[in-house]
Amino acid sequence: MYRLFLATRYLLSRPINLLGMGGVTLGVFALIVVVSIFSGFLRVVGEHVRSASADISVWFLPDSARYAQLQKAIEEVPNVHATAPRLVHFGLLNRPGEQPPPPPLLGRGALQGGDTPFVFVLGIDPERDRATTALADWLSAVADERKVRDLVHPLARIDGRPAILLGEQRMVTSGLRIGDLLSVSTGRVERGPDGGRSLVQVTAESVGGTGKDAPVFVVAGAYRTQHTGYDGNNALVHIDDLRAMLDLPPDAVQEVAVKVIDASTTEETAERVERAVRRELGYESGSLQRAPLAYSWRERHRGFLDGVEWQRALMKIILIVIMITAAVLMYATLSMMVAEKTSDIGILCALGGSPRGVMTVFLACGLSITLCGIVLGTAFGCAAAIYLEEFRQFVLWLCGVDLFPVKVYNLDRVPHELDPLWILQVAAMAIAVGTVVSALPALRAARHDPLISLRGS
Amino acid sequence: MNAPVLSAEAVTKSYWLGKREIPILKGVDLAVERGEMVALLGASGAGKSTLLHVLGLLDAPTTGRVCYDGKPVHDLKVSERARLRHQHTGFVFQFYHLIPELTALQNVLLARMMQCSVTQYWKQRKATREAAEQILAEVSLTSRLSHRPSELSGGERQRVAIARALLQNPRVILADEPTGNLDSETAEGVVDLLFRINRERQLAFLLVTHNEELAKRCHRVVRLRDGVVVR
Repeated sequence: MYRLFLATRYLLSRPINLLGMGGVTLGVFALIVVVSIFSGFLRVVGEHVRSASADISVWFLPDSARYAQLQKAIEEVPNVHATAPRLVHFGLLNRPGEQPPPPPLLGRGALQGGDTPFVFVLGIDPERDRATTALADWLSAVADERKVRDLVHPLARIDGRPAILLGEQRMVTSGLRIGDLLSVSTGRVERGPDGGRSLVQVTAESVGGTGKDAPVFVVAGAYRTQHTGYDGNNALVHIDDLRAMLDLPPDAVQEVAVKVIDASTTEETAERVERAVRRELGYESGSLQRAPLAYSWRERHRGFLDGVEWQRALMKIILIVIMITAAVLMYATLSMMVAEKTSDIGILCALGGSPRGVMTVFLACGLSITLCGIVLGTAFGCAAAIYLEEFRQFVLWLCGVDLFPVKVYNLDRVPHELDPLWILQVAAMAIAVGTVVSALPALRAARHDPLISLRGS
Repeated sequence: MNAPVLSAEAVTKSYWLGKREIPILKGVDLAVERGEMVALLGASGAGKSTLLHVLGLLDAPTTGRVCYDGKPVHDLKVSERARLRHQHTGFVFQFYHLIPELTALQNVLLARMMQCSVTQYWKQRKATREAAEQILAEVSLTSRLSHRPSELSGGERQRVAIARALLQNPRVILADEPTGNLDSETAEGVVDLLFRINRERQLAFLLVTHNEELAKRCHRVVRLRDGVVVR
């Protein structure tokens, strides 16, 4: 009984203990809030990337690959629902008769795109792509004035000209409207009679136009995925138009988008698709040729997603330093308490206290500080993570300062994801650290010779 | 025939200063009977406090035996010695050694808390509180129950310390110069209190003192010189 009683009295009579408690609270709070924001960000970014990707993408197909052949092979793989052919090229966008805009300043445009004239020109078959991606949703998600007129055939030719779809943000920033003309300057590789390769400019004639200028497309509308980086950097055209521009056979394909039935086994399905494609194309293991690869959407964007994951891990390490600082603070205050209480240690022993009992008194002090810090830190941390967006709005309303500029990351609000396992890990870590820094002074108290304090006064 | 409440048989105690042995007690024999008031006199450094600590099981003898009610207790385990110290002996020190964070009443109650679990204490909390208040009333501190040590005079603090020693109904009280830090008038009051307790409760006292007058009032005087009892 005396252990609990004395520990409580010592804690209540020494406001300096609030320092240690505050330190633990701050450490736990920071670890919960920051990691929950990063986890939420990771989840949202993953969802955004996912929304703009096919479940599986088959890459690095040889020039000789034909879609019909691959379609049959891939769609025979279990768990494959549908496939769509794609061509991936590149080009510079500008209004006919105008120079392309200057390149953006360094460091701009990488994340969201939209302010650089360079784009990836993605040739798609809208009928098939609708079955493998959320193309229909992308087309419906834009403002009415930028919405494609014919949602069933979004890339159908308009007045005999090929159609092009732009990311909505690019369309807005470029001041383009439906029906505007847009030149796509690009080139293609041609083999000479000697077998050598040379780059040849693609002209309007390749898509049924006239003249030696770049092909002219009609803006058919905009699309919007949740992944602004994708929207800003990709322009969608009909795959047949792109085949014509690049002088490719009617069934040529560079990438195959695959939709799976059960998303939980996407990775395994990707492996099976890869094997099927290689088998179909006659690749042998150990061949020096670049073999086709089938990536799941997560694998395809692994670099980006891992980058965010690493930032979260780095942040955890930085925040654990706060916890260690709090522990040092707690150690200092508990050591001071033990030094001040040597006289009490003597009398406790004289009254029948054992060294273990004395140790428990000081250990209970340290653990109480730790537990209070954990409870407060967890409560404030969870509340802060949940209501951070409201807090951001309040500060924005009050001071006009945006603490978390969410638009930079195409977010509607500050994301958060409270992981009970992480909260438990933080609590366990705090308890472990608190126990160690409490045990050291407590052991010193237990080893203190009571006779020294009884004689010392 | 009843065994002495407390006895020391050929007790020696030495400390080591590096490789040098410093003998403090050199074969002390002493017995305190129930209800007996024994004064332990001696010059500074004679070994009085060391003998008190050995008898109170706060320190172990180098050789010899310490017996409570005739039973040897000097070689018990640490936890057993702590339990026995709590049940059998009460301590009163020159410098009171009260816990500054606690009130007078809480300092006294602390003695009862020492060997109780939370549930045990909770069950008997009313009776314990009444007993503590009664003992504090015995030492004339009824009006000082909620005062902290810093709000009490030296004499009052020592009376709180005496009340704390009494709460567990010990068999013997070991008092190490209980009046050494008090003015003569206050000291007189404390000494009267100790004698009254001895008389009313038939409690044995071993009183370490320099005060010859106080020693003369005791039933028996034991003189210690250079670690040896001088008759």
